[in-house]
Parts: sequence; structure tokens; C-alpha cells
Amino acid sequence: MIAIRNVSKVYEGTKNPAVRDLSFDVPTGEVVALIGPSGCGKSTTMRMVNRLVEPDSGTISIDGEDVRSLRPETLRRHIGYAIQGVGLFPHWTVAQNIGVVPGLLQWDRTRIAERTHELLDLVGLDPAVYADKHHDELSGGEAQRVGVARALAADPPVLLMDEPFSAVDPLTRDRLHAEFRKIQSALRKTVLFVTHDMDEAAQLGDRIVVMRDGGLVQQDTPERVLAYPVDDFVASFGGTERALRRLSLAPVTEALYTPNTAGAEGPSVASTASLREALAIILKAGLPSIPVRDGDGAVVGAVSVESIVERFRRPLT
Amino acid sequence: MSRIRHLAAPVAAAAAYLVIAAATPAWRQVLGAVFPGESRLLYPDATPLALVWQHLELVLISSALSVAAGLALGVFVTRPAGADFYGVVADLTNLGQTFPPVAVFTLAVPLLGFGLRPTVLALALYGVLPVLRNTISGIEGVPADVLESASELGMRPWQRLLRVELPIALPVIMAGVRVSVIVNVATATIGAIAGAGGFGAPIINGLVNLAPAITLEGALLAAGLALTLDALFGGVERTIAHRERAAATAR
Ligand SMILES: Nc1ncnc2c1ncn2[C@@H]1O[C@H](COP(=O)(O)OP(=O)(O)OP(=O)(O)O)[C@@H](O)[C@H]1O
Ligand SMILES: [Mg+2]
Repeated sequence: MIAIRNVSKVYEGTKNPAVRDLSFDVPTGEVVALIGPSGCGKSTTMRMVNRLVEPDSGTISIDGEDVRSLRPETLRRHIGYAIQGVGLFPHWTVAQNIGVVPGLLQWDRTRIAERTHELLDLVGLDPAVYADKHHDELSGGEAQRVGVARALAADPPVLLMDEPFSAVDPLTRDRLHAEFRKIQSALRKTVLFVTHDMDEAAQLGDRIVVMRDGGLVQQDTPERVLAYPVDDFVASFGGTERALRRLSLAPVTEALYTPNTAGAEGPSVASTASLREALAIILKAGLPSIPVRDGDGAVVGAVSVESIVERFRRPLT
Repeated sequence: MSRIRHLAAPVAAAAAYLVIAAATPAWRQVLGAVFPGESRLLYPDATPLALVWQHLELVLISSALSVAAGLALGVFVTRPAGADFYGVVADLTNLGQTFPPVAVFTLAVPLLGFGLRPTVLALALYGVLPVLRNTISGIEGVPADVLESASELGMRPWQRLLRVELPIALPVIMAGVRVSVIVNVATATIGAIAGAGGFGAPIINGLVNLAPAITLEGALLAAGLALTLDALFGGVERTIAHRERAAATAR
């Protein structure tokens, strides 16, 4: 767990604090999405965790150990860090870039080679094609994948990601999000993820921390942040369509009712789908309700416009 | 193999240069054909090949010192600890370059005596600037995001220098070394006035004794050496260029 306690930071030569008395946790194995407008102190918060920036006051600890008890370089080798700019080393191949931290940790060559191969597979880049490429031979999306692979290289328990997917087109970003979720469900890293996109925060975060002017405004699950914004500022961050955003966060099973009244014929929705997908199928079919099928194709119930509305009317726990 | 293919032609050129320098009778014949009726065709105190070795000794020792000093100073003034000296070092080396080498030799002789040592010192001082200038600009040309990611990944400052800054700056630094060495080949001929030998010896001997063939001998040897070394450096530069390495590893 990353524990941030009463942390403040005023940069030299500036008047207003970049971060003000900030406290929150990133529980072990979870993703906390840090969101807020430009300049609100997100990157500063993240950079204090791996001591690229030193706080003026407050403490930051990882698994109970104060980050100041380690040399900054040692600390950083045990924290994965992926950023928007990626900053790949231009004189090295993709494989050499990914192997940097294992190299600093003095892994032997064969182990680094195996690990590099494994990570390229993990982020969806064919090692045979990409291992020997250089930075200038990669697209923006490929470079960001390499950046993520590099952050994961030494298998750090903690990952810091500062808008790592923001420099790519929406389609590529969706694919990267899907891959990130897949990777995270397998690896269960403790992740602090900075973004200023509510959709991204809701998609990737187990929890969302909303910041403004260096301070914490709200922290909660994505759906609760969208459903119960503490003020107009958070509400505006969710956007006018925040109710629609919530649709993609809830699984269809939460609006499932039995027995199935929709009939087994016609379009149906998988029980693993989100409410958003279910509603899309309902709208496309022009039907009031559709059956829900489990992994074996058996009908387990139905979902309807009314049951979705009903699900939205229920208070969230 | 493909990594060193750029060196094949320059190495062949260097071998050809040495073979030609070693062919003393041929030199006599050619110079005799250019200056018919002239009896003093070759420098009397050393064969052309011996002059090559003398000159190479001068150039290699002084260039090695220039490169070491230029690199060390360039690295030092681009570290946080050395940043304060940036201006002073840049001014001093610029000043050094404007100081005529002939004067440096003349002033160095009373201090260090005649021979190799004062010449090497003067040449070394003279050759620092291109190396230093390119070391600084090469290191300063390393993109900021690359430097940051070195720190972010947990490299210590010296690891960052050795693994990131110098390798990325290497092509620029090599270009500076090339200029320094090639200029040095010509400047080193002045070493003859301090009695250091090399190609300056026949050039001055020919001047003093009104024997143009001997001056031409020295000049041709010097030009040939400069061209040969330039070709060698070109080969080395192409060998270390990133793109080549990328292509070579992909193959
Ligand atoms: N090195 C620095 N020196 C001085 N001020 C800084 C420095 N880094 C950031 N700041 C200031 O601190 C505040 C917070 O910056 P920070 O980078 O943490 O914002 P952010 O939330 O990450 O913004 P963005 O979404 O644009 O990345 C800003 O006002 C910024 O101008
Ligand atoms: Mg930022």
C-alpha cells in the first residue's frame, strides 16, 4: 500500500502550493486514478512517491516503509514509472530499453533477455519484430507500450503511471486500456495512475481521487464519484453524460431479473457485459428487453430498459 | 562483419599510404621527374617512412592528450558541480585557439627544452578546443526527456553519464576528435622548429636550403597522412552511427 499523509509541496519561486495537505492511500493490488484539471498537482504528487520531488512536509510510505529510508535511485528501481513522453533511450533498441532497470539491478543477461521477451508479449508487441527496433522506428502507441513494458521490467510491486496513454488516438487508447486491464487483473500491481480524462479514470481505476488546486476534493469508487459528486466541480468533471458513463461501470448482472420474459429468440447479451453494452443491444434491436446468456449460452434471465432504470434508482453502497 | 565493413576501405587506404611512404626509390624517381636537374630530391636525415613514424608519434601522443583533456573538461563543465566553470573553460580554450602555435612552440622551448615534449604540449593544448566544444554540445544535445527518464528509472549520475549521455553524444564528440586530429597533422609540422622531427623537418630543410623537392616531399607526406586519417575517422563514425547499428542487429 502507498500511504500519502498530509503531504504539502511549494516549489521554489512559486507562491501557491502545488500540493496542499494531501492524504490518501493506494491499497495493495489496486489502481487509484488521480484526476483533476491541468496544474492541480497530480504529477507533483506522483513524483513525490519516487522522490523525483521532495515534499516540504508530510510523509509517504510504501508498505509501511518511509520512502525517505531508501536512496532515491534504489527506491526508483523498485517502482515502475511510465509517463506520457516515454523518454525512450534513442541509442538503444526496444529490448535494451526494456532491460534497463533489470540491468541496473544486475540481473544476468539470459534472465534479462527472457524477461524482455515476456514483456513484449505482454504488451502485445511481437518480440521478433520489435525487439531490435529503435525509438524512431516506432509509432506513438508502440512507444507507449514499450514505456509500459519498461516500467514493468523488474516486476516492481508499485507502478506510477502519469498519463501514459494520452498521446495516442482514441482507438489505440481503447486497445491500450483493454490491455492494461488484462495485465492488471493478472499482475495485481499497486498502481497510482494520473489522468485528466474521467473516462480513463473510470475505466482503469478501482478508486478515483479527485484533486483541485493541490488538495483532495473527493475519493471514492468510480461509480460513486459519478453518481454522488461532492460538488459542482466534481460533477462538471464527470461531464453532462456522467450517468451514461456509469452504464459502462456496472455489469449487466446488476440489472438482471428472472425469470426471462424476453423469450429465448432474437438478440441477447452476455452476462459478462456492461449495462452500456446491454442498452446498446436493446436500442439496436428496438425491444423493451433482451435475454442474458452465461458463458455456456444458457439463458440466465433478462435485462430491460426498466430494470436498468431501476438499478440506477437504487442507492449505491 | 557488417559492423566493420565501413572500415575496410579506410584501412586499405592507410596500408596503401604506408606502402607508398616506404618506397623510397620511387619517391626519388617521381621528385626527380618533377624537378629535373635538381640533385637534392629527398630529405637527407630520414627516409619518408621514418618521417611518417616521427610525425605519427607527435600527432598520436598530443591528440591523445587533447582528447583526454577535452573530454574531461567537457564532462566536468556539464555536471552540476562544474557548471560554474563553464564560462571560464570556454573562454580559455577559445583564447588558446587564437594564440599562434608558432608562438606557443617558441615560448615552450625555454621552459621544456627542445624536442618532443614542448611540441607535444603545444599541440595538445591547441587540439583541446574542437574536442571540448563538441563534447559540450554533444552532451547538451541529449534530449531532456531522455535524461529525465534515466533518473526516473534509478540511474545514478555516473551511470547516466556513461550509459546515456556519452553514448548519445558520441557521434558529435567523434566529429570534434576528427577535426582536432586532422588539424593536428598540419600543425605538427611546425614542431620541426623545436626539433621534434616529423614532416616539418623536410619542409623547413627545403625552405632553408632552397631545395623545393624536399619541401614537396614533406608536404605530400603530410597531405597523405591527413587524408588517410580523415578516411579512417569517417569509417569509424559510420561504424558507430545508430542507424547502422540498428540495421546490423536486425540483420
Ligand atoms: N519544477 C517545478 N517548478 C516550479 N513549479 C512547478 C514545477 N513543476 C510543477 N510546478 C507547478 O506546480 C503546479 C502543479 O503541477 P503538476 O505538474 O503537478 O500539475 P498536473 O496536475 O500534473 O498538471 P497536468 O495535468 O497539466 O500534467 C503547477 O502550477 C505547476 O506550474
Ligand atoms: Mg502532469
